[in-house]
Amino acid sequence: MSVLAIIGEVLVLIGTFFYFLSALGLIRMPDVYNRMQTSTKSATLGSLGVIVGTGLWAVGKGYSPAWIVQTVAVAGFLLLTNPISAHALIRAAYKRGIPLWHGSVVDKYAEHLASKAQVEEASETSEEVSE
Amino acid sequence: MLKRGLAIITLLIIGYWLAQGLAGVPFGQDKMLVGQYYLNHVKEQTGAVNAVTAVVVNYRGFDTLGEVTVLFIASTGVGALLWERKKRRTAKTEGSIVLTTGTRLLVPFVILFGAYIFIHGHLTPGGGFPGGATIATAFLLMYMAFTVYEIPHKAFEKTEGLVGMSYVIVGLIGLAIGGYFLFDWIWQTWGWGHDNIGRLFSGGFIPIIYTIIGLKVGTELSGIIDNMLKEEVSE
Repeated sequence: MSVLAIIGEVLVLIGTFFYFLSALGLIRMPDVYNRMQTSTKSATLGSLGVIVGTGLWAVGKGYSPAWIVQTVAVAGFLLLTNPISAHALIRAAYKRGIPLWHGSVVDKYAEHLASKAQVEEASETSEEVSE
Repeated sequence: MLKRGLAIITLLIIGYWLAQGLAGVPFGQDKMLVGQYYLNHVKEQTGAVNAVTAVVVNYRGFDTLGEVTVLFIASTGVGALLWERKKRRTAKTEGSIVLTTGTRLLVPFVILFGAYIFIHGHLTPGGGFPGGATIATAFLLMYMAFTVYEIPHKAFEKTEGLVGMSYVIVGLIGLAIGGYFLFDWIWQTWGWGHDNIGRLFSGGFIPIIYTIIGLKVGTELSGIIDNMLKEEVSE
């Protein structure tokens, strides 16, 4: 068995382990935001491991080098898209008013939104005054 | 409660009936009649390595023409149902900067991949319909990420009509040369690409038909998205 095949097998093992962790996090975490945090990060890492590992494994077993090219392309696409989709989901959840876990202590985004609203109100009132 | 119970009982009876019917079908046995013919002759008759696309475009091209027509009717139907004199995008919130930048980065790659799928229909899994749907996904991404984006209507609608027409024209050329509609004249009459099976420039008219279908499906689905995301402007 060649070195490439061994590296590929190890990568696939690591990837499946991270898949397991991501599923575990989905059950274990208390609220939407924590769940997204655990599941996206480890699922992205897990798929990178599994996909690239499959490519290396196939090349090590004697299949064509096209395997590694295609798997790396897929892995790159996932690496680019997964964080964006997670970001969009989280942002949509926050905008819909899904509450944070009761144990969370800091919500800077709410403070930021409140201060922005205050500034807008102030500018509106000053406009009214100037009119 | 009574309604739900009755529904469940009826579904169970139907399911048992279907299972009884399928129980007689032998799985995993060689029962191919027409399928064996396709598998044996697909290479020398059509030049395609992908037997599915050869069947869909070449052996049974008429069905594919029907499917394209169904899609076209669906697109026209949506357009007719949602027709308003004045329409506009009414997206309320701007997407976040991560989303817009990511979309800007990804859209060319998604379109490239869609084109790859429909150009290589005779070699790899896929073909015109998946490729076209992928291209429409790119435009859906643009619509989702930007509040003001609109597809280039003039180019899109002209392309849609032209490629739909060229599918029929390719079929009519076959009728003129070979005697029946959708006859594969590039492969059968010209013999173009006979020593090239398994490479890009082979497969008779399958890549050409699939490029046509891919462009048509892509523009049509984008048009449906465009129609559905607009609302009437009250004046």
